[in-house]
Amino acid sequence: MEFSHYAPLWGEALLTILAVLVVLLGSLMKNSGKLMGYLSAAGLVAALALVASNLTIKPTLFFFDTISVDALSQFFKVVFLVVSLLVVIASMSKYTGKGADEYFALLLFATVGMMVVSSSVDIITLFVGFELASLSTYALAAFDRSKKNLEAAMKYFIFGSVASAFMLFGFSLLYGMAGSTHLVDIAAASLANFGPATLVALLFVIVGFGFKMALVPFHMWAPDTYEGAPPLVSALLAAGSKKMGFVAAFRVILIALVALRMEWYMAFAILAAVTMTLGNLAACWQNNVRRILAYSSIAQAGYIAIAFVVVGAAYGAAPVNVLNMGPIRADQLGIAGALLLILGHALMKTGAFIGTALVASNVSKESETDPDDISNYAGLAKRAPITAFCMLIFMFALAGIPPTAGYIGKFVLFSSAIYSGLVWLAVLAILNSALSLVYYLRIISYMYLKEAAGPKIKEQKGYVVALILTLLAVVWIGVFPEAFINWAMQAAAVLLPQ
Amino acid sequence: MYADYAYLIVALPVLAFLLCLFVGWHLPRGGGFLTVLATFAGLILSLGIFSEIYPDKIIHQSMPWFANFNVGILIDPLALVMLLMVTFVVTLIHIYANGYMNGDPGAARYFAEAALFTASMLGLIFADNLLQLFIFWELVGLCSYLLIGFWYRKPSAAAAAKKAFLTTRVGDVLFLAGIILLYNNLANLNLALKPGEYLLQFPVIYANLAQIAPDQLTLIALGLLGGAVGKSGQFPLHVWLPDAMEGPTTVSAMIHAATMVTAGVYLVARMFPLFYAAPYGLTAVIAVGAFTALFAATMGLTSFDIKRVLAFSTVSQLGFMMAGLGSGAAVGTLAVGVAIFHLIGHSFFKALLFLGAGSIIHAVNTNDLREMGGVGKYMKWTMYTMLIGSLSLAGFPYFTGFFSKDEVILIAYEYGALINMLPYIFLVLAAVLTAIYTFRMWFSVFTGKERSNYAKHESPWIMLGPLVILAVFAFGFGLAAQDDFYKYLDSNFEHYDLDFVELGVIGGHALEGEHGAPAVEGEQGAAAAEAGHGAAAEGEASEGEAGGEEGPGEPWYIQILPIFIALGGILIAGLFYWDRVKKFDPSQVTGDKDPIRKLLLKGYYQHEIMTGWFAETVVYGTALICNTIDIKLVDGWLNWLSALVLGFAQHVRKVQTGIVQNYVTALVLGVVVLVVVITLAKEVGLV
Repeated sequence: MEFSHYAPLWGEALLTILAVLVVLLGSLMKNSGKLMGYLSAAGLVAALALVASNLTIKPTLFFFDTISVDALSQFFKVVFLVVSLLVVIASMSKYTGKGADEYFALLLFATVGMMVVSSSVDIITLFVGFELASLSTYALAAFDRSKKNLEAAMKYFIFGSVASAFMLFGFSLLYGMAGSTHLVDIAAASLANFGPATLVALLFVIVGFGFKMALVPFHMWAPDTYEGAPPLVSALLAAGSKKMGFVAAFRVILIALVALRMEWYMAFAILAAVTMTLGNLAACWQNNVRRILAYSSIAQAGYIAIAFVVVGAAYGAAPVNVLNMGPIRADQLGIAGALLLILGHALMKTGAFIGTALVASNVSKESETDPDDISNYAGLAKRAPITAFCMLIFMFALAGIPPTAGYIGKFVLFSSAIYSGLVWLAVLAILNSALSLVYYLRIISYMYLKEAAGPKIKEQKGYVVALILTLLAVVWIGVFPEAFINWAMQAAAVLLPQ
Repeated sequence: MYADYAYLIVALPVLAFLLCLFVGWHLPRGGGFLTVLATFAGLILSLGIFSEIYPDKIIHQSMPWFANFNVGILIDPLALVMLLMVTFVVTLIHIYANGYMNGDPGAARYFAEAALFTASMLGLIFADNLLQLFIFWELVGLCSYLLIGFWYRKPSAAAAAKKAFLTTRVGDVLFLAGIILLYNNLANLNLALKPGEYLLQFPVIYANLAQIAPDQLTLIALGLLGGAVGKSGQFPLHVWLPDAMEGPTTVSAMIHAATMVTAGVYLVARMFPLFYAAPYGLTAVIAVGAFTALFAATMGLTSFDIKRVLAFSTVSQLGFMMAGLGSGAAVGTLAVGVAIFHLIGHSFFKALLFLGAGSIIHAVNTNDLREMGGVGKYMKWTMYTMLIGSLSLAGFPYFTGFFSKDEVILIAYEYGALINMLPYIFLVLAAVLTAIYTFRMWFSVFTGKERSNYAKHESPWIMLGPLVILAVFAFGFGLAAQDDFYKYLDSNFEHYDLDFVELGVIGGHALEGEHGAPAVEGEQGAAAAEAGHGAAAEGEASEGEAGGEEGPGEPWYIQILPIFIALGGILIAGLFYWDRVKKFDPSQVTGDKDPIRKLLLKGYYQHEIMTGWFAETVVYGTALICNTIDIKLVDGWLNWLSALVLGFAQHVRKVQTGIVQNYVTALVLGVVVLVVVITLAKEVGLV
């Protein structure tokens, strides 16, 4: 088989080689931080180009049908690569000294892990990818070696291990039932042979993925970890690795466990409703900006989980004429909405966490107080105008105010809920969006209406570049959403029978 | 060719906004020249577009946004005249502001916000769909909030800004409700839209109006009218407009003359077919308009703050415009031309008067008429330009205001002849009062003795220049443009798929035509009436016959009454307030005990009713209850929660691993709950 057969996977290959190279070079060279940053960024851009060249590829299987490259995997790979790229760009202002090579290598490995998960159509490869990403991020979460970092990483690790155990147990049940690790075979077996064990498997799998997706009540690690980990790592966790949970859940639950549709429909209806409500309520009462953002991501995960409910309710339903786009199936629209929200949320959250990173890195030098406390954001518009403006847009986008990426995702997703008859869920989600304004506007009011808490701070180049790129992307998607909606629709089609 | 760059009319001010916002304070005068240039470029583009499409073309560009929505530019005669007026007047105001705001530490912020304000207003005008119009409408509201509260450290300015924002919000909610209702009705029609057509685009709305149920049309019309009432300061949502004086005078000039308040009138004109088709739609419009016109004029009589006099005058004149639109029930689309003509004329002389007032305040440093007097000796240019503006506002023959206002009164008469005389009577009384309060102001400021020791100097030329240019238009625009203007605006709705006869039947107008005057039947009636008016408005001798033959017409005494109104009003004001011919003193007619005077001075006790009774009793009462709930319930819960969290944190500090165990316990509990719920649901048969 010739080399070019694997062209759709060159992105992963490139990043793996690069990660190994970064570790090797780092051990050989003294003071290699800057170079490693540029190298990683270049590698990520190249990988992005490779992925983009196969953006809407027909599903193609590799490695004994365990890896599938299709529109869905490409969609998620773009999300992961963009998030990693933004984090790397921002990190170039922070990790320049000793140890930077390890940081960038871990980041690249995590990215590869996430990319593998997005392509997996086999529970073994999926688990391997999952663990690759998780182990790398466990180490990253402790990277600054402060006490807070270690605590965050420890919690993340313990909680993650338990969740992995649940997931693996669920997988073993699935394997025992189907005699195969391919998702397609499991789907066929679960249709033919449905028993109590499958239900247990489903629940255990949901726990495993729910941990990564940070759905209530599997979310408890998230606020502590997002708050305690280095801020740029939090960006990767909230925007990247969390989305990995969604792609894995999409593939396993929507394809392999479609026979238990009514069960997971029920489970996700509860999880989505509880998650968004508790996430938003909890966020209102936080004073630590990163905790607010953490709870906001939990709430967003609740919105995204609506897609499962929509698919459960409207699976295979006849197309309806919606949104001026011709006849469309509500289940496909629901997944497309979730994908758009995933894309939008990945960008907005990366941007917001990069913003907090900038503030924290400039404040912590001066004072002993919590660098993420909201009081440090007072008058940020005067102290760091670019950061404050970008944060302003990200907050509006997270709240779902047009014309931003956050609005488009919510709009499509909530409409799909209405079209599939889940009006109560849509209403709850919209009420939650309104509630979320409380804490987003609180941050904005601190930044723009309060007296400055200190002198002007220097906005480092790396952070600013990453912030502005994110800002442009967020607004671009909001202003010209048509192409993105079509792309998400194509990706969504992969998960549903034609 | 200019049409291809129409989007720049909005894009350039937005660019100016960004530049002023971010680099303004490094530029001389806060970057004010950028705002001027951007608006001036808009004027040039608008003129270019005018030369291309006058007299019988329209521009419609549109691109999809997403789903059912699009972004588009629609420039028809109605939008075009508004574009020209706004860019022209606002350019002059911005030039003036370069002088007025010179030295203010917030100049950069001022020019940024002013540029955004201009951009939003222009975007509102050429929006091709109702949603886009609404978005810009809200932006206008936001900018007005920022600009009225420009001196935000002044508590009264902050309060006025809040008041303006909240009051217009009431209208905006109604407006939004109207839009949603309209959208739902259109969506329920299951229209087969061609590619490039969207539900809320004006041409689509126009074309499908006739299919919507009449009662729905009335509801929609009332919703939209609510928005217009809020934005255009009509009763009862006019309360914010006089307070909006707290901003810099240039802001007042912008709000009152060119941007913001005209948006409400523009909305009604833009949706005129809908109002026409909606039963009682136009009745509501004329009722609100005529009442506001008289109501605000009486309050203008008793104010001592020069800017408040002008503000009440604006409210009153906007009432005239609304009443003009409402008269469309009798005269059809002619009403749009008449009302918009008054809007444009008004924007010239009101901008002139406000900028003149700004020039006076700039020099004498007070707003109070009682502290001025004799200013004319030191400010010749300001005095004479203000005189032109005042004559125009009072409706002195051959000035712009004469043609525009009297035309409104005339069509109100036709409305009266057909339907109800009350609005006409209100408008005539309001016109008399207009002349009186205008010249009360002018005489008290410029003539007589100095009543306080103020600085005596003329304003700089950067401020006087715009005054002179505006004065030229305040005088000559009506004479020069009237006939063509009506013809051009009357053609506005011919570009769309509209049948006014059919709409008239829905709205119940043709019915009245049968019983009353035979001529009023949709377009034909309007055209005939217009022919009668073309002659009438020139104020020539033939009007009696023309009116008598072709339309319901007006008797000769109705035709010339406005001239006497203006002259009489000015005379009365002179007798009271001009020292050379002074015959009476106000105290001879009215004293402190006079209940009417007291009523007017107190502004009809609106403050007492709205703030004293409604706000302090009803709202404050509700607020108290909420506050109790907040303190007892929310805070109590919060305190309990924070105590819990703090206690938890204490606990955590001692047992580091405890917390993770808790987390994992929660996880396991979650699984158990899910198992139980799903099993139960299966048992019950939910899934």
